[in-house]
Amino acid sequence: MGSIVLIVRLVLADVRRHKVQAAMLLLAVTVATATMALGLSLRGVSEALYEQTRAATAGPDVVALSGDAGPAATSALASLADDPEVVAHHGPYRIVYADLTTRDSTSSPVVVHGFAETPGAVNRPLVTSGHWVRPGGTVLERGFATALGVGVGDHVTIAGRSYPVVGIAVTAATSIYPWAAQIGPGGGPSDSSGLAWMTRSDARTLASSHDLPVTLALDLKLRDPAATEAFLDADRASTVTNLRSWQFTAEQDMVILKNSQPILVVGSWLLSFLAVTGVAALAAGRAVEQTRRAGLLKAVGATPGLIATALLTEYLALALAGDALGLGIARLTVPAIASPTASRIGDAAGPGGATVATATVLAVAVAVLSTLRPTLRAMRTATVTALTATARRPRHRPWLTALSALLPTPLLLGLRLTARRPGRAVLQACSTATTVIAIVALLTFYAQPTRGYGPDGSSALPNLRDVHDRRLLLAVTVLLIALAVVNTITLTWTTAIEARANMAIARTLGATPGQISAGLSSAQLLPSLPGAVIGVPLGVGLLSLFAAGNPAEPPSSWLLGGVLATLLATAALTALPARLAARRSVAQALSGETA
Amino acid sequence: MNVSSAVVRVHGLVKQHGRGQGRVRAVDDVDLEVPEGQMLAVMGPSGCGKSTLLHLLGGLERPSDGEVWLAGQRIDTLSERALARLRRRSVGFVFQAFHLVEELSAAENVELPALLAGRSRRQARRRASLLLERVGLTDRARHLPSQLSGGQRQRVAVARALVNDPLVVLADEPTGNLDSAATLDVLRIFEELRSVGQTFVIVTHDERVAATADRLISMRDGMFVDDTRLAGTGTGRLGDLIGLED
Repeated sequence: MGSIVLIVRLVLADVRRHKVQAAMLLLAVTVATATMALGLSLRGVSEALYEQTRAATAGPDVVALSGDAGPAATSALASLADDPEVVAHHGPYRIVYADLTTRDSTSSPVVVHGFAETPGAVNRPLVTSGHWVRPGGTVLERGFATALGVGVGDHVTIAGRSYPVVGIAVTAATSIYPWAAQIGPGGGPSDSSGLAWMTRSDARTLASSHDLPVTLALDLKLRDPAATEAFLDADRASTVTNLRSWQFTAEQDMVILKNSQPILVVGSWLLSFLAVTGVAALAAGRAVEQTRRAGLLKAVGATPGLIATALLTEYLALALAGDALGLGIARLTVPAIASPTASRIGDAAGPGGATVATATVLAVAVAVLSTLRPTLRAMRTATVTALTATARRPRHRPWLTALSALLPTPLLLGLRLTARRPGRAVLQACSTATTVIAIVALLTFYAQPTRGYGPDGSSALPNLRDVHDRRLLLAVTVLLIALAVVNTITLTWTTAIEARANMAIARTLGATPGQISAGLSSAQLLPSLPGAVIGVPLGVGLLSLFAAGNPAEPPSSWLLGGVLATLLATAALTALPARLAARRSVAQALSGETA
Repeated sequence: MNVSSAVVRVHGLVKQHGRGQGRVRAVDDVDLEVPEGQMLAVMGPSGCGKSTLLHLLGGLERPSDGEVWLAGQRIDTLSERALARLRRRSVGFVFQAFHLVEELSAAENVELPALLAGRSRRQARRRASLLLERVGLTDRARHLPSQLSGGQRQRVAVARALVNDPLVVLADEPTGNLDSAATLDVLRIFEELRSVGQTFVIVTHDERVAATADRLISMRDGMFVDDTRLAGTGTGRLGDLIGLED
């Protein structure tokens, strides 16, 4: 009991004393776990939203689509409705292929479904605003209306004739916007299209007056909704172009999220990596203090196990708090990310058990990986040595000393500082490489040609999937850059603190504060340079693992610009902590080291 | 001397540092017995091995050779874990550099070994209050070490060393960082403790501090070169004797 009180007390006191470090660990773990939880939750949320929409709209178990509107197709569809496995049906109904233009001249392909004014037992679109179809008016699918920026009361032009928008509705019978067409005229491939409903007579008039392509569809409710595969396998649709199960439509909803999942999951790996490097840098900067504290605790009777528990508990507690925060953020944001089209309704459940477990494992891994080394060091160091712990003496490298003597003073200092702490240099290089990987991914994404949803692929309506992916990638890149910025400042500061005695000695030998400051900046820039260079092929390689087909490469000038911008930003970021450290009084620094 | 009454006993104690030609014998074949209630002072020049001896007695370092016994138990063969348990119950350390946990208050620092020993929070708090009162720091109980003077910090360290009623208090230059007034405060506390039978081993450079002990051992090059019984000194004479009266 006493040990638990003691551990809690030590953890709380240390967190109070090192608020910045605690906040940094909390932030890094929150960001990483939120991103991972989002990435892993997308499929579940997408499926849940489809299920809820299907329940609310009496969604069919199977939709039969015919590319032909002739009597044979009608007869074939009618025979499907008589199948003993079918307990209810809706249709056959017309699907008319046309173009829709809004008042502000935005155009898009549209499929118009001819429905009864009173919806039947199967496929009853849920009106979310306005009312259901009536003669002379049209109802727009909600995802389509949102993309067009159209609401109830607006007018749209379909195939040259103006219709008032009398309602907005959702349905589970079709894929989400912009894949409402499902099949094209004659059963061929379809363009990106929105969905509109009209009365049956209006749809017939629309088709006949402009001689527009028409197909037929029939919605079926089966005796056993789960047995759709068996129904499809029975080859009942010899003359019907296509039979689509509700499971297929639910799966189609994931198409718009195809890139989102890798962006978020791979992004969370990179964020976790940066979290580990940042926290490890801070932990390394505090290693001496932690070792002394461990020595003191040992001297008064703490066992090595209790010391390890106290050290790890602090980081684990913060990491688990970050994990909880990250999962909370994922819970709040996942509906917007998993359903970018507004074509589905419902409440998204929070991250599932497996996602929570994976995010928690990630948080614990970040805490353990970043603190394992200083914890082991504190445990293993003999008590007397620990009580008088000082920064580890760097290895002597005569060749480096000779080489650096040829360089200007700032580079001389920078090179020697880099060589003093090679582990810290590797962390800085990794941090920079991770940032450049994200920048390369972002630039490559922006270099891809994008096809809009307007007629013939015009960009009148932007490609929702591309927009969504770019936003996500930009958000992940911004988070990565933010963590990398914190890491760079942390690494510069810890380097400056550890090197203060040596820098003070350099000052007594005639180095100016400017040279000291430039030396500290150089110590971060030198490892950043190879990190940035390696980041480019790593970024291209990582992208090729997840990108479909052969993505277009961004111009070399973009990549070069990205690398240079990263290095310039690193130089700028290191300047402030370096200048602050260089301004410290020489006498104070020297006496501090000897105290 | 009756061996059974010795709180601390060492035999043939050796501690070597370094290897090959750079090898140094910090403690060189030392025998020692400290009976219960004795205040032993160890003096000697810097680097003579007196701090190493203290660390060996408290199980902070392991000897290269020889035996260390504490209250009849051989401790140099114990595991790190067993040594930690032994220290928390039987040994109180007082260091020159205080070695307080900077982020804990004075009371929390004193409670620390009590909690480690498994006492309840309430028991630990009660004991800490008692000891802080004894060292005259009741009004500083909630202060952090950084808010205390050097003398006050060392008094907190003394209270911490006593919280589990140790068999022996090992003090390494306890007044090395203190001014005269603070030194006198600490020595008065030591004197009070000695009067109730507390055993002490004090390593010091300061002859005035050594003069308050029952027994003085001089060390040089890791060996004992002199072992002298001193006349007892009462609390009332302490200041006069060591020339520290304020």
